Amino acid sequence: MKKFFSTALARGLFWQLIGTLTGAGLVTGIRVLMGLSATDKFFFTEPAWVLGGFFGVLFFLAGNGSVSDWFKWARGIETPEHHEERYTGWEKYLNVSLDHKVIGIQYTVTALLLICVGGLFALIFRTELAQSQLQFLKVDMQLFGQNGPELYNTLMSLHGMIMIVSILLGVAGIMNYVVPLLLGAQDMAFPRLNAFSYWIAVPAAVLLLMSLVLGGFGTGWTGYPPLSARAPVGVQMFFLGVFTAGWSSILGALNVIVTVVRMRSKGMTAMRMPIFVWASVATSIIAMTATQLIGLSFQLVMFQRLFGMGFFDPAKGGNPVLFQHLFWFYSHPAVYVFVLPGLGVISELLPVFARKPLFGYRWVAMSSMGIALVGFLVWAHHMFTSGMNEYLRLPFMYSTLLVAIPTGVKFFSWVATIWKGKLTYPAAMLFVLGGIVSFLLGGLTGPPNATVSVDLHLHDTYFIVGHFHDTIFGGFVFPFFAALYYWFPKATGRRMNEFWGKVHFWLMTPSFFVLTLGMMRIGLLGMRRRIVDYDPALNFDSTHLVLTIAGYLIGLAVLIFIINFFHSISHGEKAEGNVWNSRSPEWQVPSPMPTHNYDQPFEVVGEPYDYGLAGSKYVEFAKPEKSKNK
Amino acid sequence: MTHTQDKSSALGQGVLIFVYLTILTALEFFIAITFKSVSILIVVAVIKAALVMYYYMHIYKLNENSDDDTHSYSYKTDTNRLGLWLFLLSDSFVFAGLMAARINLLGFTRPPLNQLLGLAVTAVLLLSSFFMNRGETSMAHGDTKGFLNNIVITFFLGFGFLIGVVAVEWRLAAAEGLVASFGNPANGPMGGVFYIMTGMHAFHVFTGLIFLFVVWNNARKNIYSAEQHWGVEAVAVYWHFVDLVWIFFYPALYLIGKLIV
Ligand code: HEM
Ligand SMILES: [Cu+2]
Repeated sequence: MKKFFSTALARGLFWQLIGTLTGAGLVTGIRVLMGLSATDKFFFTEPAWVLGGFFGVLFFLAGNGSVSDWFKWARGIETPEHHEERYTGWEKYLNVSLDHKVIGIQYTVTALLLICVGGLFALIFRTELAQSQLQFLKVDMQLFGQNGPELYNTLMSLHGMIMIVSILLGVAGIMNYVVPLLLGAQDMAFPRLNAFSYWIAVPAAVLLLMSLVLGGFGTGWTGYPPLSARAPVGVQMFFLGVFTAGWSSILGALNVIVTVVRMRSKGMTAMRMPIFVWASVATSIIAMTATQLIGLSFQLVMFQRLFGMGFFDPAKGGNPVLFQHLFWFYSHPAVYVFVLPGLGVISELLPVFARKPLFGYRWVAMSSMGIALVGFLVWAHHMFTSGMNEYLRLPFMYSTLLVAIPTGVKFFSWVATIWKGKLTYPAAMLFVLGGIVSFLLGGLTGPPNATVSVDLHLHDTYFIVGHFHDTIFGGFVFPFFAALYYWFPKATGRRMNEFWGKVHFWLMTPSFFVLTLGMMRIGLLGMRRRIVDYDPALNFDSTHLVLTIAGYLIGLAVLIFIINFFHSISHGEKAEGNVWNSRSPEWQVPSPMPTHNYDQPFEVVGEPYDYGLAGSKYVEFAKPEKSKNK
Repeated sequence: MTHTQDKSSALGQGVLIFVYLTILTALEFFIAITFKSVSILIVVAVIKAALVMYYYMHIYKLNENSDDDTHSYSYKTDTNRLGLWLFLLSDSFVFAGLMAARINLLGFTRPPLNQLLGLAVTAVLLLSSFFMNRGETSMAHGDTKGFLNNIVITFFLGFGFLIGVVAVEWRLAAAEGLVASFGNPANGPMGGVFYIMTGMHAFHVFTGLIFLFVVWNNARKNIYSAEQHWGVEAVAVYWHFVDLVWIFFYPALYLIGKLIV
């Protein structure tokens, strides 16, 4: 316990608390001097909470040591390029490390933790939905300054945003761990920035959770004004949390791009990069640029609330639709941030388990870039009913439909790769296949939403909820699990338990399809989304009950995974060699990966996915004696 | 690093670019009070931006690959440079978003601002960019003393800009009723747009001042040399970027559109 309290995590959280009190105290003091009210419903006033939240983040980072090298540089003091790892075992992961592998695992475990929190929220409100009428989130209850239905709204909104943050962290985790290994680099281009990007996400998560107890907010993850301009102070913590998490995403993405451009090993030309690297670059381009706009749109609402600047307030001449434009300029491309790495994982693993070359490598590589670029031009398909200028509908409808083309390229490649392959089905491969099917369902339900005439009916119904859960599970959740099963031995030298892996898959997948298809069914029949109750006369009770049961089964499956994951770290079957018989460089050296990655540099001498071609080789390692003088 | 230019010609080039930028700024002002043509103003701003990006920020250096040894200082500098430019690209999305908000909310109207003050702070920022360029050039030729002198001038000009905007212009604008217009439907969100655009820019100027202080302080300790001064280059590029943003914000706030009181 004593050891825990001296970790960077504990110190950071402690300083975040101090920072929050300092910032809030500062504002409160000034308000007292100015003769304004000092306290409010949630003790501090709203400006005090905002500055407090902001100071909390700064104090966290200063207090946990993730910026200390930069401060030294600013004072003209040099620091070693890499610090010796001071900790071993679990302590390594709760302290600041510059090793991309450690940071990758920090990201991944944090993402899993947030998935559990977000999933728990979902189970709570899903339970309420199991029957029409209010069961336990009743109007006369009070918790955190909210009555039952208000609490429902907060949980539903937080479910969305916490899951999004966990996806961003999960994506960053896999990219961090895998990209430098695939490139043959010793680390990311900017190791300190990398650590900073991870650690800033921790106070961000705390802020998000703070919103729950500070009155919550009923806006959904999208935070549209005017509702968000009137919500309780919790919405400010939500905005601040997302803004902070956004910086994690922006800086992490920047790091990935620079790493790929500057740190590839010899011979790795663009057209010999692994598909996952292509996907990471495409994702990072979006995350690095577009994220600023969700940050900006949320900041503008924060300022509107704090200072009365009426950007989005029609009564003051503002324009609420402008918010939606700024917001979706990020949030549509963001869905590709979620899925492109996952689709990259699918393309990366399929050839390994089908023992065949990836079909149409070039096209697949380009399709990631194509999706990312076209993805910037489609945002207003979320706004067909918003009252935006009507002439915008048609161009956005067609640009959206255009995305289906590069997406189709990927499917074509996957199917052709599977075709006549010698497939094996370990858990990792099962999740790859599950991802493909789920993403297919999600992809097929996209174009109807994009078609204006249809979307006017589908918008804001459960059909949309079904659509995006299918895309996100297919593009992120399934591939994420696949990646964890696949690269787990690389990180730990042990395998995750196959039997429980299969149980995980066969429990989760059918439940998940029942869930989303059921959502789409009632959505088509008129079930509105984001609502605590529904009319019993609609006859949705039985479907909702089934959906709730399916939700619990998914929760159980994830629980099994989590137990398997942590149990296997120390008890899994040993696997130190090339378990999957892969051609990728990271599997040519023993597991777990040594601290400074490859002892000998490698050179790329062939195509990455020529599985089954006799005599072909992807990488060749330098002879030990030659690289001694390195 | 090899110097393709000797010091005096590099400094001379800085002067020339400064003169061009001054002429273009004067031209902008002239157009704004005579033709009032938005498209010409856009063209002029783009030309100014291109000049700054090429001659002051040396964007072409992104293409340089000075060393193959990945552990050398110059290889790392190339890497850092790419990182910095990507950061600026990311940052420019914030300013682009603000610009989009301005166009959406204000259209062809503009806030009641003091034209002379606007021109003055613009000139001050431009001048600071000029001295920043001299400072960086000095350092690139190993002249630490020249660097220190120029950086002090840059700092105070930047500080003057900040005072001009935050202490003077914000008060004048408040007196013109822009703050009051936060709650006043007649002016629309004019006040909000003005304060958020200048505020976001001023915040960047402020951080730039901190960075200027840091490199000034470090240069006094003699930690930079003609070959190794990435810190100086980074601050210079950042400082010019702040100027670059103002090249677009100045006409957007002061010059285009109809005045609304
Ligand atoms: C061909 C591909 C796709 C098309 C044509 C498409 C189209 C659409 C459209 C038109 C909407 C808006 C529906 C409405 O609100 O009325 C929508 C919503 C959504 N889509 Fe997709 N989509 C596609 C792929 C994806 C992917 C890959 C993801 C993400 C992983 C995704 C995630 C979402 C999300 C999260 C929403 C709901 C946002 C909200 O209102 O809360 N979509 N999709
Ligand atoms: Cu979209």
